[in-house]
Amino acid sequence: MANSEYIIEMLNITKEFPGIKANDNVTLQLRKGEIHALLGENGAGKSTLMSILFGLYQPTSGIIKKNGQEVKINNPNDANALNIGMVHQHFKLVECFTVLDNIILGIEPTKGLFLSKKGAREKVVALSDKYGLKVNPDALISDITVGMQQRTEILKMLYRDNEILIFDEPTAVLTPQEIEELIRIMKNLAKEGKSILFITHKLNEIMEVADRCTILRKGKYIGTVDIRDTTKEALSKMMVGRNVNFKVDKKPAKPTETVLQIEHMTVPSKLHKNNAVRDVSFQVRRGEIVCIAGIDGNGQTEFVHALTGLEKMTSGKILFNGQDISKASIRERSKSGMSHIPEDRHKHGLVLDYTLEQNMVLQRYWQPEFQQAGFIKQGAVREYAQGLIAQYDVRSGQGPITIARSMSGGNQQKAIIAREIDKNPDLLVAVQPTRGLDVGAIEYIHSQLVAQRDKGKAVLLVSLELDEVMNVSDRILVMYEGEIVGELDPKTVSVEELGLYMAGAKRDNRSAEGK
Amino acid sequence: MFLLLKYTLLYAVVLMLVALGGMFSERSGVINIALEGIMAIGGLAGILVLVLFQGTLPAAAVILISILASAVAGMLYSLLLGFSAITLKADQTIGGTALNMLATAAAVVIVKAYNNSATGGNGSASSKLTYSNKEFIFTAGPLTYNIFLIIGIVLLIAAYVFLYKTKYGLRLRSCGEHPQAADSVGINVYQWRYTGVMISGFLGGLGGFAYIVPSVSTWNFEVGVTGFGFLALAVMIFGQWKPFRIAAAAVFFAVFKSLANIADATFLTNLHLSKNIYDMMPFIASMVILAFTSKNSQAPKAEGIPYDKGAR
Amino acid sequence: MSVGNATKNKNKKIDLSSGLLSVAASLICILIGLLVGFIILCCINGEYAADGFSRIIKGGFYLMPKGVGTVLSQTAPLIMTGLSVAFAFKTGLFNIGAAGQYTLGALGALYFALVLQMPWYVCLIAAMIFGAVWGAIPGIFKAYFNVNEVITAIMFNWIGLYAVNEIIYKGVIGNMYDLKTTKTYTLRAAAPQAVIPDMGLNAIFNTKSTTIAIFIAIVIAVLVYIVINKTTFGYELKACGHNKDAARYAGINEKKNIVLSMTIAGALSGIGAGLYYLSGVAEWNPQVSTALPAMGFNGIPVALLALSNPIGVIFAALFVSHITVGGGYLPTKYFQPEIADVIISVIIYLCAFVSLFKGVVLETITKRRKKKTQGTPDGKGADE
Repeated sequence: MANSEYIIEMLNITKEFPGIKANDNVTLQLRKGEIHALLGENGAGKSTLMSILFGLYQPTSGIIKKNGQEVKINNPNDANALNIGMVHQHFKLVECFTVLDNIILGIEPTKGLFLSKKGAREKVVALSDKYGLKVNPDALISDITVGMQQRTEILKMLYRDNEILIFDEPTAVLTPQEIEELIRIMKNLAKEGKSILFITHKLNEIMEVADRCTILRKGKYIGTVDIRDTTKEALSKMMVGRNVNFKVDKKPAKPTETVLQIEHMTVPSKLHKNNAVRDVSFQVRRGEIVCIAGIDGNGQTEFVHALTGLEKMTSGKILFNGQDISKASIRERSKSGMSHIPEDRHKHGLVLDYTLEQNMVLQRYWQPEFQQAGFIKQGAVREYAQGLIAQYDVRSGQGPITIARSMSGGNQQKAIIAREIDKNPDLLVAVQPTRGLDVGAIEYIHSQLVAQRDKGKAVLLVSLELDEVMNVSDRILVMYEGEIVGELDPKTVSVEELGLYMAGAKRDNRSAEGK
Repeated sequence: MFLLLKYTLLYAVVLMLVALGGMFSERSGVINIALEGIMAIGGLAGILVLVLFQGTLPAAAVILISILASAVAGMLYSLLLGFSAITLKADQTIGGTALNMLATAAAVVIVKAYNNSATGGNGSASSKLTYSNKEFIFTAGPLTYNIFLIIGIVLLIAAYVFLYKTKYGLRLRSCGEHPQAADSVGINVYQWRYTGVMISGFLGGLGGFAYIVPSVSTWNFEVGVTGFGFLALAVMIFGQWKPFRIAAAAVFFAVFKSLANIADATFLTNLHLSKNIYDMMPFIASMVILAFTSKNSQAPKAEGIPYDKGAR
Repeated sequence: MSVGNATKNKNKKIDLSSGLLSVAASLICILIGLLVGFIILCCINGEYAADGFSRIIKGGFYLMPKGVGTVLSQTAPLIMTGLSVAFAFKTGLFNIGAAGQYTLGALGALYFALVLQMPWYVCLIAAMIFGAVWGAIPGIFKAYFNVNEVITAIMFNWIGLYAVNEIIYKGVIGNMYDLKTTKTYTLRAAAPQAVIPDMGLNAIFNTKSTTIAIFIAIVIAVLVYIVINKTTFGYELKACGHNKDAARYAGINEKKNIVLSMTIAGALSGIGAGLYYLSGVAEWNPQVSTALPAMGFNGIPVALLALSNPIGVIFAALFVSHITVGGGYLPTKYFQPEIADVIISVIIYLCAFVSLFKGVVLETITKRRKKKTQGTPDGKGADE
């Protein structure tokens, strides 16, 4: 058995999809008992590689070895038989099942014809004690926190006696404090002899937890390094292929008059009985970027929907350029000078089956510029779209008549940004504008936000990414459980302190009211 | 009053069986709008067996094979839905609609062809079949029951146990809620969806037979099963995809449906409402109920969405 | 500018191949459907199968010129129900309620014709309004109660059927029912002013009910095409159909659009019934009509075969009524006319997934093109 240094080896893996090489001759070797990070940008091929290891895809060429023996992994069952387990980025949990049912699903213990959960429950309780994974086996998944759901996923692997544990971007949904907890659990697991593969694009976490790191860029293998011998800067250079400017270039903000004033906004939740947004008040002025920071699911989405008119408030007031728009329709708000880069570009931002040019006029098709007596002026739409495409360098296969669905994520986002900025708004609401994009696109979008600010526009940024919050904004408002719990200055606050606010461990005594 | 009870029991069992069928299909993730057609095919198969074997075989054998024939025919017919919805990932509503239309048309063609050849090919174009239903009905106390009542109760309990007490039920439900999760722990989603659809075909076919046989001794296949399969869908929604709630919902709907049958024979004649009005009632009732219940529906989350192993 | 032209040409090519592929996909459905029909004919009576099949294929042409006239008078209402289903598809709705809307449309037409003795165009508008009301109901349930439009439409199909039968049979709103024939009164005798003019078509085809209905239907199809593809209203409807969240984000009132779309779909079905009954093709029989009118359901295969293109609907409707009429010419001694219905339902079944197959073919074609262009300098756009 122990004739190999490595428990898992993926050698010269190539995976081609029609028209694209997701992995190009990639090699990954995992030692027993180590925490091995897999680093790369969005779209670098990390997930594809892990899907191959987990049996979800078959490699076009290359081999996989376990303990030096070549193995074939055709499906998740094979992976499981080789003791490989995976915590997926989007949890694979059935919401209306209990924690226990989710853990035993697929390998259910039975007595005769019927389920027999007693033994399973004991094993789960024992495992959760051993590794400090606190969960209630009888709770429904829909009732527990994201952190607990992640622990359920980990227990799923441990229940199956998996030896090789894959974590796909596990920290994206956690608070800084929950991340600490997860890191402790991972180290604990490694100490007990489990081998861990950790997919991420966050350098801090790698420096803290990993033993070694393999870097991918655009599907290609760049190298494997020992964490003790490297620095954050070196890793980032390997990941992006050039030196990255972590700081966003910008001059100090010169805020002028108030554009947006929110007073005591309260929005009900669709998921639970409490209010999603509770008594929120603040202002945004011309010439500043105000950032709402917080962990996902603390009311940011509902807040933005209420602000832009997609949802109704139960109470409160929105003053926009001095006008009360609390009851105005989505179209009226848009007309009065509010632009909205939505959180989910596929759900809200684009009609994916429309062409690029049709999407470019999504909020303006009714304006006299683009229609006459109810008939759309195709020529005017085409010309306008071509102008935007050129100005914002939106790349697509067939120009204005490209179907939006066929465009890359970065270019889809650029198209939305072009459309929203070209409306020449007084207020630009940008929700997670860089989600899922590579470094080049992120830099471009950040520079556009700053340019808007410098033109004297007000920018309201909602972000989950700490780096973005710290680097782009002029003022930070932290949202926790629907409330603004603190107003911070990015120039003076530390990431640790910001984390405490985001986790609800700290809050300003004076509420941010009226400010 | 006894008459009302009689018809209520009769229809309740049918609605329950078919709605349970719909439940199995939807719990596995496939919307089964083809229940109407499956019922027609099941009813046709069972009645053809009756017509062919009644008198030549002992009564018990005729009952057994006709019931089996209806269920198996429904199951086979539902495979067409499975093939388009699961294997080919087609639109489930359109596929189901096609199967409903096909069932009525095919049933008429088959019955007419049968009648034509039975009368020596003189061009008889009747779409009716006549049979005896005595064997299916028995009397206890003041009421007459039919055999499907017993079958229905047994299958209701079996459905509950299967869904909640066995690992198969757990797996089937996981495919309707979160097929990616099921797949990631090695459950074959396609296989379980086929299972769900076939169980629904089995129950739907049986339900079609149970609808036609006990109440009348002649059936005109031009009318299919007069919208009963669609009512069963409403029963399933009202029952929130749960076996015992479906049974209760079935009884509720059956009362409305029964009113039409007893309208002429009872005190209801004094109201001077015609059969058409009573025929409308269950449909109106279901709309009212759906309007109030659909806001917090507990429909399986992944129903109607074809599962594609490649897309993750 | 030359670059722009080059891309334009390339785009046209892809559009064209996509269009051709759509037609090819529909033709494949039809061929397989016909093949199934032939096999059924063989099973029932192998000896006469070939003869029976040729009668279905010949359709109306089997009995010139009368048959062609019959096909035309059947096509007009079918175009309308086909448009009804296609229009709703564009908004992402499945209008299975065309049958019920058609039933109400029939009531509207007959009531205004027989009881109120109105001229034909008024009756047609009445049919449209009755159908529109019945179409609006599933839209309202969908928009405001979150009930799937398919379920509502099915329920209201039956409610409509029973209600119309009751009204006509009992004479609730006036006497339309002829006890002697057990049908509604014959239009030509009881309300000649309500019959759609034939402009000599009946003489040409030697029929009694071939009117200008077919031209009215074609004109409406063209209008629907323009509304869907050229207007802001069509833009909004399609946006709702493709992605209702994005439509909302764009400030489009998606609830209003759902209701409007279903109302218009209902109106189209209602006009269909008007064209049928006001041409005097048949009379309503409230005692036999315990099944929903097939004309409503046949709108579904028409819309699917046409891939929801309003112009395509015209041809698809012609085809469907062609083989339905052909089925009617089958010798009942050996065959059943419902075999045509079997063929049509097989075609719908195939249509449900053939469009997906088309998508796959199209994708590989575009991908291959993309790969080719990637080699050239201006191919940098495809940065996937």
